[in-house]
Amino acid sequence: MGYTLVYTQVLEFLPYLIKGAWISLQIAILAFFGGMFFGLILATIRSFGNNISNKIVIWYVTFFTNTPQLVQIYFLFFALPEFGILLSPYIAVLLGMTLNAAAYLCEIQRAGFLSIRQNELDAAKTLNFSLFQQVKYVILPHIMRVLFPPLSNHYIIMTLGTSMAAIFGVEELTGRAFNINSETFRSVEIFSITALIYIVITFIATFLLAIIGRYFFKAKIRIIQ
Amino acid sequence: MPQIEIKSINAFYDKLHVLKNIELNVSKGEIVSLIGPSGSGKSSLLKMLVGLLIPKSGKIYLNGNQVNFKNQSDLRTIREQIAIVFQQYNLFQNMNVLKNVCIAPTKIQKRNPKEVNEQALTLLEKVGLKDKLNSYPDELSGGQQQRVAIARALCLNPQILLLDEITSALDPELVKEVLDSIRLLASEGMTMLIVSHEMNFVKEVSSRVVFMDEGSIIEINNPKNIFEKPKEKRTLDFVSKILKEK
Repeated sequence: MGYTLVYTQVLEFLPYLIKGAWISLQIAILAFFGGMFFGLILATIRSFGNNISNKIVIWYVTFFTNTPQLVQIYFLFFALPEFGILLSPYIAVLLGMTLNAAAYLCEIQRAGFLSIRQNELDAAKTLNFSLFQQVKYVILPHIMRVLFPPLSNHYIIMTLGTSMAAIFGVEELTGRAFNINSETFRSVEIFSITALIYIVITFIATFLLAIIGRYFFKAKIRIIQ
Repeated sequence: MPQIEIKSINAFYDKLHVLKNIELNVSKGEIVSLIGPSGSGKSSLLKMLVGLLIPKSGKIYLNGNQVNFKNQSDLRTIREQIAIVFQQYNLFQNMNVLKNVCIAPTKIQKRNPKEVNEQALTLLEKVGLKDKLNSYPDELSGGQQQRVAIARALCLNPQILLLDEITSALDPELVKEVLDSIRLLASEGMTMLIVSHEMNFVKEVSSRVVFMDEGSIIEINNPKNIFEKPKEKRTLDFVSKILKEK
């Protein structure tokens, strides 16, 4: 073993890496909420739509959950310019992750719809709840409680998935680690620090989500698996 | 004037004809029990009275006023006056016992929360659940949940109470505690329509008993006659079969 760990040289780049982590977080949060919104529309169509619209959603979900996310982003980045649509790396990654998340989050949210208990709604109706009141007092609290844990998990998976953006030259956390690596060649130090930053980000997120889930939605979430 | 007048009602689930030409009058303070085999339309009749099943033809009068089920304000009115307790309790799982009882009176009827709270406590004490106020439904036994459901229905101050097979999902030892709560209400003069398979209970509390089969009312009689000398052969077949099993 001729390799000695030297962290001093790499630690200078810590602020640079942390700024990269901020970009990773941005991508994860934007893609997650974009995916939630688009996924909700898909789940609504899938639950209440007609035969044809159902089929379209099923194909969409099947396609996006059965092809690698990397390939999906490659397609957006390299194939769309052939049709005259030129996307910046950041936008291509963000769009790719959003479309992919929409497929998964559609299925998660649909499971939430399916878990609504008809007999509670019957009770609410006979107690004269309006549709809005049914949603507010019966449907949403129940759905949030059921959905919060799988949604939190998916958010964490997406946060880590943002490292794919490095391949397209987006200067988020992993991209910046690549940059420093090619300058200093201190690979072990750089990638160990990068991994540590990812752990810190996901740990903070898990912790916050667990608190929100427990106190607002009475969802059961464990912080350490 | 009868409190509820049901005139030649027909109702369907999709194509299934579940209520056929139903005629029934219920006076104030009466306790009318509906008996009959499964699928005979007893529960559908109760569901129709709270607007969960909209009849295709026929008329219903509540205190002499005709009810139009397609009119939202009529629907609200009948649901204010008629409360139902379901076989599966149908409690809100995300609310504790007290909230389950108080939510409709405070949020829907907009009554004074303090006064509702007091009434809820009195009712929960009456059904023997005063020490379970902060429990959630999944922490309670079936019998306890069913009594919460009864308290929830009563807290609306309904004129009429519908009980849809409220003891059939319960263990035998829990049946008694629920029936005791109902006996208490019966003694207070509440109008009730009861769907039940507890024949002894039916015989004891009912003013009249209605026998239904395949969506039609076959016989309406007083409780003594319907079990001892029914007019119709189908009634006789049913009661003798049921009483033999006991």
